[in-house]
Amino acid sequence: MKTFFKALGNVFKKPVTTKYPFEQTFIPDDYRGLIGFDENLCIWCRRCEMVCPPGAIVFSQDMEGKQTYHFNRAVCIYCGECVRACPKEGAIFQTAEPAPCALKAENINNGWNKLFDEALASREAYAAEKKRKAAEKAAADKAAAAKKEEENKSGN
Amino acid sequence: MGRQYEIPIGAQHISLLEPLHFKFTTENEKIVATEANVYYVHRGIEQACCSKFKFRQVSFVVGRVCGLCSISHTTAYSQVAEKLLKIEIPLRAKYLRMLVIELDRIHSHLLCLSHVAENSGFEALFMKTMQYREFSMELLEAVCGNRIQYDFSIVGGVARDLKPQVAQSILERLKKFIPQLDELMDIYKNNWTLSLKNKGAGAITKEDAMRLNVVGPFARAAGLAIDVRNETEDLLPWKEVGFEMITETSGDVYARNMVRLRELYVSIRIIENIINGLPESALITETKAFPDGEATVRLEAPRGELFYYAKGNKTQILERLKIKAPTFSNVAAMAEAFTGNEYGSAPAIIASYDPCLSCTAR
Repeated sequence: MKTFFKALGNVFKKPVTTKYPFEQTFIPDDYRGLIGFDENLCIWCRRCEMVCPPGAIVFSQDMEGKQTYHFNRAVCIYCGECVRACPKEGAIFQTAEPAPCALKAENINNGWNKLFDEALASREAYAAEKKRKAAEKAAADKAAAAKKEEENKSGN
Repeated sequence: MGRQYEIPIGAQHISLLEPLHFKFTTENEKIVATEANVYYVHRGIEQACCSKFKFRQVSFVVGRVCGLCSISHTTAYSQVAEKLLKIEIPLRAKYLRMLVIELDRIHSHLLCLSHVAENSGFEALFMKTMQYREFSMELLEAVCGNRIQYDFSIVGGVARDLKPQVAQSILERLKKFIPQLDELMDIYKNNWTLSLKNKGAGAITKEDAMRLNVVGPFARAAGLAIDVRNETEDLLPWKEVGFEMITETSGDVYARNMVRLRELYVSIRIIENIINGLPESALITETKAFPDGEATVRLEAPRGELFYYAKGNKTQILERLKIKAPTFSNVAAMAEAFTGNEYGSAPAIIASYDPCLSCTAR
């Protein structure tokens, strides 16, 4: 009976819920939000990519060896593991800003999978090119050394 | 003997929150036999942890096993990985882990209680309990930065520190919560309507509970004093922060409600003790070792004993990870406890088990 009267009293109370779009809900100061990246500070060690549990960070590389950072906010779980792994303070950091929704035009899933594979392929291509150049250079050096030796021999 | 009917409930049903299937054989509304099927949500998490993810990443993967006891899973995995790496974590990290586990227990127990009320047909109490539960979600968000997937424990320690103003707000909110909890206790204990569906329903004896290997509040309601917090001292110092065993004797839905409500008082006391006596030390032990050998860990999740087994082979990828969730231990007793009850009480009984099928089927 007591509960019944209490329940009746609730009719005259204000609702406890927050009217969300018009009123902001509770967000703590150090909310785990979007991951930020500072290109000028980065030392391109790719440690953040290695530790990321869902694989939301990937670096692509062009033929000159310049790396580009890619981040997918829909794959990211906002755990902050990349920030902890980063050896250079401030190069990668966590903000308190919630991630915006993805639009269909962004093609955030399939587009990301394609980008991820392309990024890995671009790095492999750069590594292969580097290896080829190194081999070429080694061969040229060897040839030059052999020529020099021959010259020395003929000189004697 | 009357005619027997078979009534299925689940895997999708209005009074079930989880993909769980029960097949009741009933005789004049009385349940005489029950079959349970719990494997509807297999996600292959154990296999993924042993093939795709490195051992430091696995603590984030197992956090996604369950939404409610996320911190129990991450902590249990972190502990088992620390055993494999043979490292000792800082004392402050241990205390912070216990703090978040207890906050998590508050919100998990209140959720379970609210669903018992809802499935017993007491919608207003459901809303009231959910209203009082909101503070624990906000506190968890303030401590961990996220409402559900906490990602708080990592291998070697904890990810974030507790700020002094957050600690202060936890104490203030808990002080406000205690009269609300007293009010809930009064309703769950003395309300006549609720007692019709809860007293004597889904009862299990102490002997049966022991025979069927029941864990968690389900066992403690039957008078079986099992709690991992009482048994282990090596990984987390529970007794130091004022743990106390709660048991009831009747083993029915009412007793389970009482165990959960009384455990909330213990949790509140533990949290207050932790915040008042938080030791100063580093948060994380760094190591470059790789997991090697075998280890097991037991941890008291809100639903009972959580068991982790891991085997490493000196590489980044674990060789085997086994998770045994509390609900899995309880399935046999769940089917048993229905016998002799009215079919109409079944939803309330199911809710009082607090089943977590995402944990069980992984």
